[in-house]
Amino acid sequence: MSYLEALRLAMRRLRTNALRTGLTALGVIIGVAALVSLIGVGQGTQAALTSRIASLGTNLLSVNAGASFTGGVRGAAGTATTLTEDDAAALVPLPGIAAVAPEMPVSNVVVVAGRNNTTTSMTGTSPAEAHVRSYTVQTGTFLSDVEVAKSLRVAVLGPTTVANLNMTPEQIVGTTVELNGIPFEVIGVTEPKGGSGFANPDDFVFAPISTVQAAFTGGTTLRTIGVSVNDPNAIAYASSAIELTLRSRHGLAASASDDFSLVSQNQLLTVASDQSATLRNFLIGIAAIALVVGGIGIANTMLVSVRERVREIGTRKAIGARRRDIGRQFLVEAVIVSLGGALIGVVVGVLVTGPVGAAVNVPARASLPGIALAFFSSLLVGIVAGFLPARQAAGLDPVEALRYE
Amino acid sequence: MTGTEAQALLVGEDLQRVYRMGESEVRALRGVTFSIALGESVAIMGPSGSGKSTLLHLLGLLDRPSAGRYLFAGVDTARLDDDHSAALRNRAIGFVFQNFNLVSGETALDNVAAPLVYAGVKRKERTERAREALDRVGLSDRMHHDPSQLSGGQRQRVAIARALVTRPPLLLADEPTGNLDSTSSAEIFSLLAQLHSEGLTLVTITHDPRIAARAERVLRVEDGRIVSDENSAAYAQAGALA
Repeated sequence: MSYLEALRLAMRRLRTNALRTGLTALGVIIGVAALVSLIGVGQGTQAALTSRIASLGTNLLSVNAGASFTGGVRGAAGTATTLTEDDAAALVPLPGIAAVAPEMPVSNVVVVAGRNNTTTSMTGTSPAEAHVRSYTVQTGTFLSDVEVAKSLRVAVLGPTTVANLNMTPEQIVGTTVELNGIPFEVIGVTEPKGGSGFANPDDFVFAPISTVQAAFTGGTTLRTIGVSVNDPNAIAYASSAIELTLRSRHGLAASASDDFSLVSQNQLLTVASDQSATLRNFLIGIAAIALVVGGIGIANTMLVSVRERVREIGTRKAIGARRRDIGRQFLVEAVIVSLGGALIGVVVGVLVTGPVGAAVNVPARASLPGIALAFFSSLLVGIVAGFLPARQAAGLDPVEALRYE
Repeated sequence: MTGTEAQALLVGEDLQRVYRMGESEVRALRGVTFSIALGESVAIMGPSGSGKSTLLHLLGLLDRPSAGRYLFAGVDTARLDDDHSAALRNRAIGFVFQNFNLVSGETALDNVAAPLVYAGVKRKERTERAREALDRVGLSDRMHHDPSQLSGGQRQRVAIARALVTRPPLLLADEPTGNLDSTSSAEIFSLLAQLHSEGLTLVTITHDPRIAARAERVLRVEDGRIVSDENSAAYAQAGALA
């Protein structure tokens, strides 16, 4: 019996048991739909995370001040005052480096504009910040060297901060706002970078580093130095140049460890994508379990079906069916159920991927590799599930089978 | 080899069949020897448990003897593997069972065409030949019915059409009227008699002496042995005298 004949026979059989066929297929439908949609959500998460990090600048290296040690207790990173503006200046002439921005953050700054106010974080920095952290200005201008040199009280605001003050960028540029009670003139608003939730990249205030140090933090220390390199491939090279320069400036002995740390955006990207890949694999694992359960359902139904059809099998053997004809008949039935379930499951999965993603705030979309994976695993599940019942049916002794009541 | 042996379709030589049931052995056939010629009509009679069904299974290549030789059309069946046996069952043997053994959920036409599927016949030709076979048993108007919609007599006629569809020389029937009323039984036996008159070799297990009387030859089986092998006219006479 050819596979085509086995297919015809199986289709007739499955139609006459439509309800049972449907319920058996349901397990596979759910498994495949879960696989397709969860792969979509997993990939969506990964893509969103990666693009968010990439939007912060892929050429970025961040030099962080080391942690302080007080009585053997390690403080948070950046609590030590190991980085200075002179350190930042010393990095500028190093080879392969495009821009260097000194950074000194001040958290929980209250911004008051007229009768509106909001709380955000402020960073004292230089004009190079725009290059290093990939900011462009939509209205007004960014910080200038003159403003830094003269410690002018000017500020560049993020678009979310402006929106939190119930103003448009056009309205706020040129006005004076109070930052922790100190008046600053707003000279520009940046383009939105997108994103939401924690660490919104559009909610901030930039002011000249000199002004921030004078009016808020005191001293000349920095928390971080943002460094932009010319070529993302040269990050490792730039990192070692920076490390050597800072060690020699800080007079560290060869045995001493760094009193600062270097983090590249690529490292963050790798970590983030590793983590989201772990999440994705976890989701796929859960969906795969659903699919396996569906396969067990098929195997179970097929075993029952073999029991019910012992006499039919005996009769088929009597009229000339060979072992492999009988085996093929049952195997094809199992595969049809799983493939039919997979087909419906893919459609359901594609339809629910968007809503499922929206529910967890991820731009998810069913992907072709995900669909292909789901489809081929269900084919495999069908074959595996059908194998045992098919072998059992094929191996029946015709005389015993014909006698079976 | 004599002329009659050359015509022999089925030859059994000291056929034995022993089943093992746990510790004990059941000797279903204890040495059976016979020769059935092409075109003959043979009835096998005997009490239940006598071994006549076992004999029919051996004749139909559904089972293998524990000892002895069984020749089918001159071929020693011990040399046939499972696939060859299946092919012979498919092309050379038609089976008719007491309980019809039709597949429900499939139309009469599909049931009749089933052996042709295993013979590798193309669909169009299958349908044509299944129609012919149903026509031959007088059921052309029931082709698209499910077996459950047919009477017992009609079901058995569908089963006979299925047995005939590959045009085998041999038809094996195991109590073909055992589940039928007397009217349907009469119909089935006229049909079988007609097929035999057209040249079909017929081996039938039956309990019914009237039916056995229509066969040319009667084999009586008891305790796994053939106890008598006579032509039916003599049997009918003996039966009438008793």
